[in-house]
Amino acid sequence: MNDVAFVVPVYNEASVIADVIADIHTVTPHVVCVNDGSRDGSAQAIVQAGGYLVDHPINMGQGAALQTGIEFARALPQIQRFVTFDADGQHLVADAVRMLDLLEEGDLDIVLGSRFLGETVGASGAKKVLLKAAVKFSNVTSGIRLTDAHNGLRAFNRHVAETMEITAPDMTHASEIIELIAANSYRYREVPVTIHYTDYSTSKGQASVNAINIAVDTLLRRVTRQ
Amino acid sequence: MIVVQFLLIAAFVFLFFVAIRSRTAHGVSASKKLFFMAFIAVLVVAVLAPNLVTEVANLVGVGRGTDLVLYLLAVAFGFYVVNDYLRGQDSRQQLHRLARRIAVLEALERYRLDHRDETRPATDPQAEQSQQAQQAQRADDRDA
Repeated sequence: MNDVAFVVPVYNEASVIADVIADIHTVTPHVVCVNDGSRDGSAQAIVQAGGYLVDHPINMGQGAALQTGIEFARALPQIQRFVTFDADGQHLVADAVRMLDLLEEGDLDIVLGSRFLGETVGASGAKKVLLKAAVKFSNVTSGIRLTDAHNGLRAFNRHVAETMEITAPDMTHASEIIELIAANSYRYREVPVTIHYTDYSTSKGQASVNAINIAVDTLLRRVTRQ
Repeated sequence: MIVVQFLLIAAFVFLFFVAIRSRTAHGVSASKKLFFMAFIAVLVVAVLAPNLVTEVANLVGVGRGTDLVLYLLAVAFGFYVVNDYLRGQDSRQQLHRLARRIAVLEALERYRLDHRDETRPATDPQAEQSQQAQQAQRADDRDA
């Protein structure tokens, strides 16, 4: 799959990023790691593992890192398909491959991973309730019906990579991407994926309180972007 | 009473001159400057004639002048907060675009990739031709 680039936002993931890159290398040589101002050895780990290092001069948030990674990946020769992938090892490369296949077969622009169509390993009960509520909220505000609003695993084609502009810098970008799917009428589908909540990914993930931030920002975007 | 009036008016006048004479004031629209001047004028009048404020307050159905001032202040502060938030978002977005550009250009250089036009597929001769044509066009535009 030489026409596929994985975009991985990296923030202080020195201990796990090498494994994630090695996993992805089994399917494509193009792993674009956007180091978002990490204070640990993430940048070196990326270079040593053979990923492309794109270095944010300051910390700008995961959404901003994704946009940077997509823009860099567009410049790589022959890249036609793109995957966004979390750096903490919670996604499976096999899921991404399945989504890439579906992208081609299904004549789709973007394929989104869903925790609730698939298996969620190790998430707490409260986390599940919150994620479900986030989905309801997202369905109402974006007009797009999905079962999982905040999944970092996505596969999309060049058309999406060139037209989607993520402006939300932080975790709100997941909602923004869904809004962009609606605004740009991308052909989308959701597929079940397995998420591995390890102690590491749980400690790295966003605190549940952040849901309030995301909700407020989403509503503000609706008010200010007319 | 006289002392406090003097101090307040001095503060307003100082504020006015600082705002008007600041180096960035050129970029502020004339209507905003006029509005600001009117605002300062109202403040000065309110300090010199508190009874006038109470009369205005009674006119709009508020008992005391101080209450009216408080309400107006609350509204003004609300607007200020929202305006400030939106401005912050804008400048943050500009900063992020700039930082992203730096990061992408630096990475392209590190991996010796063409950075004249990232969106161009590297192996598409047609795109290359059209890009060259565009560049020639741009050069023409500059000369003209």
